[in-house]
Amino acid sequence: MLGQEGVVVSWTIVRVPPTGFSSVAPYPVVIVDLVGGGRITAQLVDWSNDDLVVGASVQVVLRRTSEPTDEGIIPYGIKVKPI
Amino acid sequence: MKAYITGVATTKFGELWATSPRTLAREAVTDALKDAGLVVNKVQALFVGNMLSGMLGGQEHLGAFFSEELDIRAPAFKIEGACASGGLALHNAINSVLSGQYDTVVALGVEKMTDHKPEDVATALMGAGSEEERAAGATFPGLYAMLARVHMLTFGTTEEELASVAVKNHYHASLNPNAQFHNLLTVEQVMRSSRIADPLKLFDCSPISDGAAAVIVSKVKSQKSVEILASTAATDSLGLAQRKNLTELSATKEAAKRAYTIAGITPTDVDAAEVHDCFTIAEILAVEDLGFFKKGKAAAAIVKGETRLGTTKHLVINPSGGLKGCGHPVGATGIKQVVEIVEQLRERAGDRQVKKAKIGLTHNVGGSGATAVIHILKK
Amino acid sequence: MVGIVSYGTYIPKYRIKLADIALAWKKEPREVVGSLGVEEKSVPATDEDAVTIAMEASQQAFLRTQILPSDVEVLFVGSESHPYAVNPTSTIIGELLGVGHDYLAADLQFACKAATTGMQAIAGLIAAGHARVGLAVGADTAQSKPHDLLEYTSGAAGVAFIMGSENIIATLRADTSYSSDTPDFWRRDGIRYPSHAGRFTGEPAYMAHVMGAATKLLEMTKTKPADYTYCVFHMPNGKFPRDVARRLGFTKEQLAPSLTVDAIGNPYSASAMLGLAAVFDVARPGDKIFMVSYGSGAGSDGFVWEVTNEIVKSQKSKVATVQEQIIHKKYVDYVGYLKQTHKI
Repeated sequence: MLGQEGVVVSWTIVRVPPTGFSSVAPYPVVIVDLVGGGRITAQLVDWSNDDLVVGASVQVVLRRTSEPTDEGIIPYGIKVKPI
Repeated sequence: MKAYITGVATTKFGELWATSPRTLAREAVTDALKDAGLVVNKVQALFVGNMLSGMLGGQEHLGAFFSEELDIRAPAFKIEGACASGGLALHNAINSVLSGQYDTVVALGVEKMTDHKPEDVATALMGAGSEEERAAGATFPGLYAMLARVHMLTFGTTEEELASVAVKNHYHASLNPNAQFHNLLTVEQVMRSSRIADPLKLFDCSPISDGAAAVIVSKVKSQKSVEILASTAATDSLGLAQRKNLTELSATKEAAKRAYTIAGITPTDVDAAEVHDCFTIAEILAVEDLGFFKKGKAAAAIVKGETRLGTTKHLVINPSGGLKGCGHPVGATGIKQVVEIVEQLRERAGDRQVKKAKIGLTHNVGGSGATAVIHILKK
Repeated sequence: MVGIVSYGTYIPKYRIKLADIALAWKKEPREVVGSLGVEEKSVPATDEDAVTIAMEASQQAFLRTQILPSDVEVLFVGSESHPYAVNPTSTIIGELLGVGHDYLAADLQFACKAATTGMQAIAGLIAAGHARVGLAVGADTAQSKPHDLLEYTSGAAGVAFIMGSENIIATLRADTSYSSDTPDFWRRDGIRYPSHAGRFTGEPAYMAHVMGAATKLLEMTKTKPADYTYCVFHMPNGKFPRDVARRLGFTKEQLAPSLTVDAIGNPYSASAMLGLAAVFDVARPGDKIFMVSYGSGAGSDGFVWEVTNEIVKSQKSKVATVQEQIIHKKYVDYVGYLKQTHKI
């Protein structure tokens, strides 16, 4: 899925983050239709307000998904960025 | 064979700093048994609806836990379906009586949420969604906000229309002694409240609450009892991205359709309904998906006051104050909704009485719509 | 014949102006910028690290070639900011790229020359017939203590080179390495920020080793600076690479295309590799490139590359060039920089 392109179907900006997400808050969460088929929910990164539009094009990237604990495994996962 | 609700009770809902889950459960069940005129040793099974006891309290095995606490030494079960835990517990309680295995059972919904940091509660509640949603940091306000955005773009629903749901429910809650909130709200106040997940603001969201509610289900009716015409449940995908249609909660539609058929009624026969307004948008989706309004038409009707106590139309939505006004201790809500409808049908709802309420409906949702439970009741 | 078959680069979108860092510490911006020869540096997003950056650069490299990740038989990642002290970055990206299980993987550390060391090792394995395709990645979210001099230049970027013996875009004509025990910049185990020895990082460290490797390389190949089209040196700041180029006898024109440091700072183990990638973006077939990296502690890896006709096809790819990524930027202020680099 990394590198695939998609289109934003809906979006929000989460301003009250859950545990492990405060360092990136406020952050947008989007639902994306992937060009190859399939639909995902992911965080939008490297964003500005102009990118928060239904129909905007995005690309799937790898990022840390939440803040790791001091000793635990670092979580990596799917996010999307505007293109 | 039929099943009846023969006793009901709820505790106050709110930030109950001094009250433990044991006390909450004890109060609700004792009062419900008293309402039914029953002693505790008549109870043949206990169904407990709860979501967060494990993640927040470190306590699982709630069937055994509350069975011991309440001195109900009988088969006991914890049923979990996120915010639909209460409704699902009742659904299972009813089926256990309809199956003929038990005559009299208790369905208890209980939740204690206020003893924890808000970010930890938010994290625990995200257990109701999908793994993908958790990795994205999609909180529950965030998920419903995305549903709101689609509804707004598709039907032109406005943030002010969303706000009017909260205004109505606070008005109803102000007439409910057990409600968490008694203050009235204006649309301006809702619009000015701080943003939680755009476009949803603080007053678009139901609160974090403690509380418990209990009902007695029996195969024998009594003078005060209410008949259960239907109890249905339906399941949809866990995550929003896997739904077929983001302008509705299909699980609601499916469970409701079956419930109306089993009860032999149509939506226009319903006089009072307690629906799952975890967020203002959720009430709009609910009343559309339950068939009370056409898609995209509910918001305008709510603003006009068509579903408010005192309406000239005949259907009142969330006379208890709903989740927003009455509070939302997640596992307790599904049972509390039934308590409210039973009191409405018995004409014991005081200042909140819906005139000539004959048929009532409750609608309880788990997560962002993965589970929906419907009960239809008649005096 | 061994060489580079494809290349990919990634520079995070965010930048901070050195002037804004200087102002935060009540220093004179023009003095700082003037003495370092750097205008602004790249800043990773809060959720980026050497693994995610290595992944982006590697994906870009595979977009430029028919070679598949499953063809890779050796994968080395060099970094000073591997997210784990024990647990390989190389197998995380190997797994995510789909390399499979049949490959040799290792993480390397040697300050800013960790990845170029990997390139020499891979070249050796390929030349010995021990592997057919290798992936060498340099990726860093360079760390520095707030208010320390290094804060002005420590940047972030990643570069990936796919190496092999077929369809080469740049043939490795010669390579060498120069090593010594010279602690000019170091970070103790368990300690968060690196330390450095001030002016000792200049003459006895950077200069001695880059010159040492460079003169050896020129002797080995019996060449002079004028024989080369381009030169690339490790870029800890804007001054050192210009200085060493001049001292060796290279011209400003030969050095210019590689100077990414002025715009994005020093991405540590990706620095010299990024300079080489920037040259590949503009090189013509037949161009000869002289490259010397530097890693504190200390050592320098020297390479002579000869560009082939295959470069033309590589340049036609839609993959973003180094310049395109340099100009695709968004500024953050000092507080944003501290948040994104996890200092607050």
